[in-house]
Amino acid sequence: MKLKRSKAWYARRIALEGDVEIGAGAPPCYPPPATMEVRVKPVDTRIAFGAFVELWRRNRGWDAVKLAEEAGVKPEEILEIEHNPQSKPQPNAVNRLAAVFNLPARILMELAGLIESRTPKLRQAAVRFAARSESVVALNPREREAFETFVSALSKTAGK
Amino acid sequence: MQESRVYLVKSATKQLVEASLLDEVMDRHLAMWNGSWSAAMQAHCAGRVLRDKPEDHHWDWKWKAGEWRPLLGYHSFAITCEGELQGLMLVSDLKSARIQAQFGKPIVYVEFVATAPWNRPEIQTPRYRGVGTVMVTAAVELSWELGYRGRIGLHSLPQAEEFYRDKCGMIELGKDAAHQSLMYYEMTDKQAEAFRLGH
Repeated sequence: MKLKRSKAWYARRIALEGDVEIGAGAPPCYPPPATMEVRVKPVDTRIAFGAFVELWRRNRGWDAVKLAEEAGVKPEEILEIEHNPQSKPQPNAVNRLAAVFNLPARILMELAGLIESRTPKLRQAAVRFAARSESVVALNPREREAFETFVSALSKTAGK
Repeated sequence: MQESRVYLVKSATKQLVEASLLDEVMDRHLAMWNGSWSAAMQAHCAGRVLRDKPEDHHWDWKWKAGEWRPLLGYHSFAITCEGELQGLMLVSDLKSARIQAQFGKPIVYVEFVATAPWNRPEIQTPRYRGVGTVMVTAAVELSWELGYRGRIGLHSLPQAEEFYRDKCGMIELGKDAAHQSLMYYEMTDKQAEAFRLGH
């Protein structure tokens, strides 16, 4: 195929074009396909956030009450964070914990699902961390005793 | 494969300069894309959030070439000027018109068209102007040669709608939900005739 247009023709048409964009067509991946990162939901990162809080205090030998005292929050808030990923933590509590952990509050706020994620890789890493932090160690005698007591209480409650 | 002498306007001198339109994208064009074009695009995009990047920043012309080359019904074009690649286009002759006046008749459909990063007003003062004009001319001419009477169609990227609607006089048929909600445009045979005459 050969174009046969005069120079004057191009001058006229190009003057009309002026300074505008000309791109057309969408490739199959426009907009970019949803990636693993965006499939991670806030509740997923909250599991990681809870696991992190629990492991951090256990690493220090602290119980939930001690951490609550240090952070200036209620113990039930700590328990809620550690065990209830469906619950949205209070921003103030997350800020106070960040101060105790000596970590940037923004990162913890993101993990807690309180601000929009700007670091998708962090979110992925958080989910992996949460999955790997699940204990595979057998219960120690104290845990077994607590567990059996609780099962017994459940059985009695169910029997009433 | 045929080469046509075409013209672009060099911004620095505001004069028409000779350029070359080839009706087949060759490996040397893809090498140019992979070199200076791609590097300029990456440099522009560095540190920018997605919404501030050109809409086609992620287009991979080398990958595209691998997809279309074995297929019949696809035609590719490259414009070079003063030793550099200035624009690329891929069209197909397999689609049919949507506008009522020519519904069902075959058209040349512009699958992709883009100008080099240094010719884009959103990036810098364009080095050359007229790539869009040359590419639309090529699409209309191909349509004419195929017996489609100049009918063409395309999905415009949002920033280019003004060009196709106001500068080329194409008919806007609304956003196409089946095509990432891009605006669809068509040129009728009468509009193509007016375009060929330079009106």
